[in-house]
Amino acid sequence: MSEKIFRLLLHLYPSRFRQEYGKEALQLFRDRARNQKGSWQSVRLWFDLLGDLVISLPHEYGRSQVELAGASPKAGPDGIPTFFVFEPASPGRRPLLFGALLSLITFISVPRLHEVNHFRPPSNWNFARAPTYDKQDTAPQQPASEAEQGTVPTTRRTNATLNPTARHRIIEKAIASIKQHHVDQVEAQQAADALLAHEQRGDDNGAANIEQFARLATSQMRAATGSSELLLLYSPNAIPERAPGPPPPPSAAYRDEMQRINCAFERVEILPHNIGYLKLNAFPDASVCQATATAAMTKLNDVDALIFDLRDNRGGFPGMVSLIAAYLFDHPEYMYCPLENTTAASWTHSPVPGNKLSNKPVYILTSSRTISAAEQFSYDLKMLKRATLVGETTAGGGHAANLHSIGDHFYVGTIEVRAINPYGKNDWNDTGIEPDVKVEAPDALQAALELVDKQRERK
Amino acid sequence: MPKQKLTPLPSAAFHILLALVGEDLHGYGIMRSVAEQTEGRMRLGPGTLYSSIRTLLEEELIEEVDRPRDPGAKDERRRYYRLTTAGRKLARSEAERLADLLRVARAKNILRGDYV
Repeated sequence: MSEKIFRLLLHLYPSRFRQEYGKEALQLFRDRARNQKGSWQSVRLWFDLLGDLVISLPHEYGRSQVELAGASPKAGPDGIPTFFVFEPASPGRRPLLFGALLSLITFISVPRLHEVNHFRPPSNWNFARAPTYDKQDTAPQQPASEAEQGTVPTTRRTNATLNPTARHRIIEKAIASIKQHHVDQVEAQQAADALLAHEQRGDDNGAANIEQFARLATSQMRAATGSSELLLLYSPNAIPERAPGPPPPPSAAYRDEMQRINCAFERVEILPHNIGYLKLNAFPDASVCQATATAAMTKLNDVDALIFDLRDNRGGFPGMVSLIAAYLFDHPEYMYCPLENTTAASWTHSPVPGNKLSNKPVYILTSSRTISAAEQFSYDLKMLKRATLVGETTAGGGHAANLHSIGDHFYVGTIEVRAINPYGKNDWNDTGIEPDVKVEAPDALQAALELVDKQRERK
Repeated sequence: MPKQKLTPLPSAAFHILLALVGEDLHGYGIMRSVAEQTEGRMRLGPGTLYSSIRTLLEEELIEEVDRPRDPGAKDERRRYYRLTTAGRKLARSEAERLADLLRVARAKNILRGDYV
């Protein structure tokens, strides 16, 4: 049996080697097998043989190539050039069949492998990058969500039109950029197909100007993919791209501003009936504002109920969302964040030592301006049934896309990460979050206080 | 056909040349002799062994010799190999090179004891 295996292995060598030394090699194998009896010796024999195969095979084929490289075309007797070949003998039927089968498998598998590659993370997918919902410290940057809401800076240039050739160039660049940057290559392809199909049908001729064309293309991509993050944006004003790599440390200006506004912790109070009230207007960078957040939560540690007023909260950093949410649980809790892949940091650092808030009722006041990280905070606590939302449906502008310039004042918005939402496909992007108790934003605090009263009466 | 270069001399080739000093051997004999002279550290497999033999033959450092069939060995016709003068010369120069190297090593006191 083992001799048969070795015979087969010998076929891996070039035929010239087999012809010259095949029999000798087989004889050597027989000699060794005869003298190396016992299971340990057999293992050692095969270990040696396989090691030898790995070392000597490349050497033998390298030698064949040297021989081939040394060959030059020479004219045969009838003047037709002839060439030396690897194997002097014609291949037999079996190797030919095997070769055909192998080619077939390769042809079938290469496109499949290519499909698998589609799910490869983009090259600029940087896990070390701390995501932010809005760019508090990079004010000139245009968040995509604002662009989507139609606050694109408009100048006379937006009224210009594009000729079909220029438009086609933009479409091609947009497709290339989406394919390069978007997290979902299937969606990227769908978007590409849709853009090209609409262009061919002449649908884009309906756009009166450049900006309308950008909006039209955006709607075409979104309709085809169902991905509301995809975006073609025209902006006469330059939009700085987010630099790859880790984010820069918070600027001095940001630190100063946070100090001036107490890290957006506008009010931290204990209302009558021992109700804690925290008016938070942003979720600032935890690396700058952790102490402020800790102080605020410590001050509220002994309250019987807690109201987060996020009606004027314009979002910020997921890190701060987790930091504050940690006080509301007695065990690590998963905080879904659409900007991040699930990592250890997706769980809150609960329980917080000395904290008494983990079992206290929580109310969140919302308005139609509550956006972004504030929506993440509200959404996660609502889904975890840890908070009651009181107020208006939130803004629904969570997922700032990354903008990539494609030239000619056009930008493509894509997302590099799509976190899996444990609560279903759609979160608050575009739709906002429905409150549990719907009241006008100005009445939300009063409504929440009444809810606290009612609950206390029930006890 | 371009000849396989043997500078520096590969370890396997040098051991084969050494094994053939003083006696003609067939492939398995060479393998055993090499294993003995390296205290089992080098166990030449068929690929390495015959690849090296082929190179040494091409370089005319060894030659094939006809030996009468071993009466005890059924029908196995074995090829025996013998060291040529050029092979002996190369083996000697390689040994001298190693001896030089050893002297340098001794001079630098990197050897423990003086048993080598």
